[in-house]
Amino acid sequence: MISPLFLCAKENPETLFAKGNGQYAKAQYKEAAQSYEEVLKDGYKSADVYFNLGNAYYKMGEMAPAILYYEKAYKLTPGDQEISLNLQLANLKIADKIDAVPEFFLAKWWKSFVLFFSVQALSVFAVVLLLLGFTLLIVYLFAELMTIKKPAFYAGICLIVLGLLSVFIGNLQNSYLHNSTQAIVFNGTVNVKSGPDEKGKTLFVIHEGTKVTIKQNDDNWIKVELPNGNIGWIESVAVKEI
Amino acid sequence: MKHYYILSLLLLWTSTIFANGIKPGAQDVKVTATVSKNVVGTGEVFEISFSVNGNIESFNPPALNGFQVVGGPNQSSSYSSINGSTTSSMSVSYDLVAVKEGEFVIGPAVVGVNGKQIKSNAVKVKVVKGRAVPQGNAAQPQRDQVADGNSTDISKRLFLRAVANKTNVYIGEQFSVSYKLYTNIDLVDNALDKLPDFNGFWSQEIKNNNPNVQWEVESYNGVKYHVATLKQIILFPERFGKLTLDPLAMTFVVRQAAPSNDPIEQFFGGSYKDTKYKIKSSPITINVKPLPEAGKPEGFNGAVGNFSIGANLDKTSVKANEALNYALKITGSGNLKLLKAPELTLPADIEKYDPKVNDNINESMTGVSGSREYSYLLIPRHEGNYTIEPLKFSYFNPSTGKYVSLSTGSFAVKVAKGDPGSNVTAYAAGGQQDVKMLAKDIAYIRTGNSGLTRDGEGFYGSALYYALLCTGPVLFLAAFGYRKWYRENNRDIVKVKGRNANKVAAKHLANAQKQLLSGDKKVFYEDVYRGLYGYLSDKLNISAADLNKDNIRGQLKARAVNESLIDQLTETLDLCEMARYAPITGISEQEVFDKAKAIINDIENNA
Repeated sequence: MISPLFLCAKENPETLFAKGNGQYAKAQYKEAAQSYEEVLKDGYKSADVYFNLGNAYYKMGEMAPAILYYEKAYKLTPGDQEISLNLQLANLKIADKIDAVPEFFLAKWWKSFVLFFSVQALSVFAVVLLLLGFTLLIVYLFAELMTIKKPAFYAGICLIVLGLLSVFIGNLQNSYLHNSTQAIVFNGTVNVKSGPDEKGKTLFVIHEGTKVTIKQNDDNWIKVELPNGNIGWIESVAVKEI
Repeated sequence: MKHYYILSLLLLWTSTIFANGIKPGAQDVKVTATVSKNVVGTGEVFEISFSVNGNIESFNPPALNGFQVVGGPNQSSSYSSINGSTTSSMSVSYDLVAVKEGEFVIGPAVVGVNGKQIKSNAVKVKVVKGRAVPQGNAAQPQRDQVADGNSTDISKRLFLRAVANKTNVYIGEQFSVSYKLYTNIDLVDNALDKLPDFNGFWSQEIKNNNPNVQWEVESYNGVKYHVATLKQIILFPERFGKLTLDPLAMTFVVRQAAPSNDPIEQFFGGSYKDTKYKIKSSPITINVKPLPEAGKPEGFNGAVGNFSIGANLDKTSVKANEALNYALKITGSGNLKLLKAPELTLPADIEKYDPKVNDNINESMTGVSGSREYSYLLIPRHEGNYTIEPLKFSYFNPSTGKYVSLSTGSFAVKVAKGDPGSNVTAYAAGGQQDVKMLAKDIAYIRTGNSGLTRDGEGFYGSALYYALLCTGPVLFLAAFGYRKWYRENNRDIVKVKGRNANKVAAKHLANAQKQLLSGDKKVFYEDVYRGLYGYLSDKLNISAADLNKDNIRGQLKARAVNESLIDQLTETLDLCEMARYAPITGISEQEVFDKAKAIINDIENNA
């Protein structure tokens, strides 16, 4: 009676991940990609899963999903050399060569800083720091001795500031991870129109694998900007958000 | 070169022989009357001949009023056999001398041919005043001497004509021009001086495969000439306005019989002289009209004529980066060779190469016709479904004066994904080389700890998270509120003191209470005494050594403690002092203790 339940039960994401790795090692890239995607379907994610999935697609010669998953991985761990390298190699194999402006190093540092601790760790820090900080302030309120009162006040304020910072960074990270503004083109050829209309003038053409920045949404159309600054409208079905 | 004139002179002296038994051809029989000159001077000899393309059975010459017959009738006949059918022609000619000035019409001759009576045409001859015979040349005729002649003398007998089949055309409309040489004089030599250059026209010469000039007999203005077509050109005007075709200039050496009285010389053909003449065709003016603006289709690029088009695509389904062939064929007559390659609009992802042009064009007097094929090599670079839009071609039809727009069909092309890597070579740019050298393959997958997380499952964002975040501030606020309330409560010293009086009294009388319980009376009173003193010392802030009854009384009075209380205090103090030396009666230790306690309470409450 119990065994069907176990059969129906989903595989543990960790084992799925390991299974995918094994399939990849045996050059079964299609199966590996399926395993990784199942992990993602269950709601789990990590830079490593995205990275490995990108690799599997790269090996299958499908550059658009490869780039998409590399970008997703890179988003989680900005500054990762391996991801960045694979991404560059994948970008060499797509049709459009658009020289992207390199990210300003401060922006990159800031991103790495925001993403340095996981959002979970940040939330624990925030709670602990705030609790400690306010306790110290309470001590300050009631302590009679100046030698206790003064350090308790300053330490309490410091801890509260750090705690609030943790909350703030946690929120930043959360919104960065969940609000996408970039997308990868998945259609072979996409005509970029001057407006959100099929009959609009075609300004230029982009191809599968090109990364665009989403500027605006309008029904089934999105306004996109290319790294070189060109702006136009494309149908939203043509892209997948990072 | 035909020595027709000489032939006729020779015939003058020989008896006429009829060539019988030659059947006329099947063609219509015609009698043509021609004169060698239609403007003659008085006293000048000229020839009138009547030629028939058949056997002359009877001949009734017209009345030759105003002319004197000096020779003839001379008969000549010729026959030719082509492909077994024999045709013959005969002619009768007279040499005439004009007597009077004026215009004369020589009436028709009636010729009997094949049992029919056929009339020739009438010929007009203008007789002008006779010219003087050039003396010098005539007196001393010299053979092999070529003298420059006056071309006006000969202009009626040797001239060039430019004949255009149209003189009123549109820009780009083709028309043909023939340069013809007319002569009824003996030509010895010729040289081309100047070919016309056709400014404002695009020209296409009609190639003649026969290197020899073909001579034909043609009558022009009633005069019979030998005619050779020297040049035939098809022209396409390139701008509008009145355009003039340059004349063709040639130099001829003409052999003319010199007048001679020597009959022997005349018998052997007579003396002759060679004269050089420069002649030119008269220029032709062509009126070229611009193409009408009304109804000019968009994308019209100058095709004039009558055309049809057809397009063809060799494949409709290919892989990316494979070549397709798109061919457009324009067939018809007009300025085919001037056509610009039509602009093929293609989806942006189909690469197009310049078209290969394949001509199959004939030139003839009716114009340039044939077909021109443009084949475009197309290479789709990416997969997808593409549509090659219809190609529009429009031309101007000069015969109707209207524009015609034609359109090919559209083609759907299905492009499958190309072989991997093939498009990389097509797009690889030099600038990307350095990246390639860093690594030839992607970095290997990550196999360690997956670091998997799940959205919305963690501590972040949970109710507990927010609750704990709020706990700190809430606790702090509560503590702050408590402290405030506490301070608020303790601000009224009297109340606090009152509240605390019992405690203060108990504190000072704590030892006394112990002694009360143990029953040691002497120590008990001492402790009560000390307790009170201690209390007063604390209360009045006077050291125990300085404390005495007067002192206490004064201080308490200053604090507005009432007299009775002070009396009770001093009484109790006295009682305690007494009890050290003598036992106390009338009051129990408990009463003393309560009294002392009550006093402290009262002082606390009052002071």
